[in-house]
Amino acid sequence: MTRKPSVCQEIEPALLATAIGDADTVTAARVEVHARTCALCRQDLVRYRAIEDAVGAWRGAPAPAEELAHARLESRLAALRRRTLLYRIFPSPLGPILIARSEEGVSCVEYLTGGADFAHSRLSRDEGIEALLDGAEVEALYRDLLEYVEGRRTRLEWPLDLRLARSEFHRTVLETTARIPYGAVRSYAGVARELGKPSATRAVAQALRWNPLPIVVPCHRVIGASGALTGYAGNRVTLKQRLLAVEGVRTRPAHRDFRIERDAMYACAGTDAEYCVPTCGSLAERSLADLTLYASRARAEAAGLAPCTACRPDLHPISR
Amino acid sequence: MDAEGFDTLVATHHREIYRYLVRATFRASEADDLAQETFLRAYRAHRALPPDANARAWLFAIASNVAKNHFRAESRRRRAHTGVREIRIETDGAGPEGETLFKEARTVLDTVVAGLPLKQRLAFTLRKVHDLDYDAIGRSLACSPDSARAHVFQALRKIRRSLNGYELPVGRDER
Repeated sequence: MTRKPSVCQEIEPALLATAIGDADTVTAARVEVHARTCALCRQDLVRYRAIEDAVGAWRGAPAPAEELAHARLESRLAALRRRTLLYRIFPSPLGPILIARSEEGVSCVEYLTGGADFAHSRLSRDEGIEALLDGAEVEALYRDLLEYVEGRRTRLEWPLDLRLARSEFHRTVLETTARIPYGAVRSYAGVARELGKPSATRAVAQALRWNPLPIVVPCHRVIGASGALTGYAGNRVTLKQRLLAVEGVRTRPAHRDFRIERDAMYACAGTDAEYCVPTCGSLAERSLADLTLYASRARAEAAGLAPCTACRPDLHPISR
Repeated sequence: MDAEGFDTLVATHHREIYRYLVRATFRASEADDLAQETFLRAYRAHRALPPDANARAWLFAIASNVAKNHFRAESRRRRAHTGVREIRIETDGAGPEGETLFKEARTVLDTVVAGLPLKQRLAFTLRKVHDLDYDAIGRSLACSPDSARAHVFQALRKIRRSLNGYELPVGRDER
């Protein structure tokens, strides 16, 4: 290989830059001047430019199977989006809480009893989902939720995604529970009856035990037929009492549990459009499984009920 | 970046990222996998991307990383099975099952570029085919803009030497 003169070696990077259009005008002019007198460098310049031209043909040229690859990507991305949940963990008066949402809606609210990190979440054990830590979209939900548990908000108008429900039956239980109004309580048996499965009381309780959206799907408003709160989030029945208290539902402690103050609540039987004082004759034969109880007249009326024309709770409200 | 922005990103850039990876691997099936990997990673991270970020350069950086990891894993495998699939990709580029991209139309230039060391090949492709600036190439390859430029120049020198005596069919009139 012939060694180039040092002047050529020195100008080589500039020559290369010029050939591929990277050089400024001064450098390019210097290279052109040199190339005019140096055949070797002139030849190099031609070759580099030929490469440049040949590569230029690659630009914008489609690759083989491009559309097929694109279609495959679209379908994999769609699958990923379907299984992705965005979550964040927040402090709350009820302990650390994880909130997660999918593109369709809020899919998980979880009390992290083991500690405020993801490893303690049910999501970490669910292979069907991919949980991504992300704050921005979940942050607004958290603010709503805080206001809600502090009693400064009575509605969470969130789109819900019940994908974490364990079965179709669980999903139906959750949907029915979600319709229990703020400040009201019903019994497990009552929910089972509404579903047309009066013997499924325990199954309803199980479904609510696995409620992926506590607070939002208000399983705290579902109690035992005796009036006892019975259970919540494992053994945290005090949380249930607390959430009910925020909504104005009064309870008293009873045997390591709480019992609602049934005498202090207005009642509505079955699908009636009226609410009564608890002493109303029309309720005499009714068990709690048949009733929805309301913490106040305002709550009953907010749920669309009218005062009973027999007991007239509007004229003779419960005296406290 | 929001979900809509991400959709646009996929629609606008998947094809060129795929082409880039085809140049990087010289095998359509691998490029397909790597492009998918690139966009799945991008999906997982896109919410953290500031609205004013250069999303295109960001995608090329992810794709470059994915390609580098791929070849690292490939060379580990190759070392583990020495002699079985010798330097198939780096110098030859032809797949065994006839999935070679440029079987018919493959030019000498394709072959020469396929034979470049990975970083030079990536830098060269990013610069000359996809027109990224040296800053973006540097970010893609985890090096400074100056080394990015050095990789491109080195690639060009090698291509010129490899083509020595071989006249490219497309040429500029130079008298």
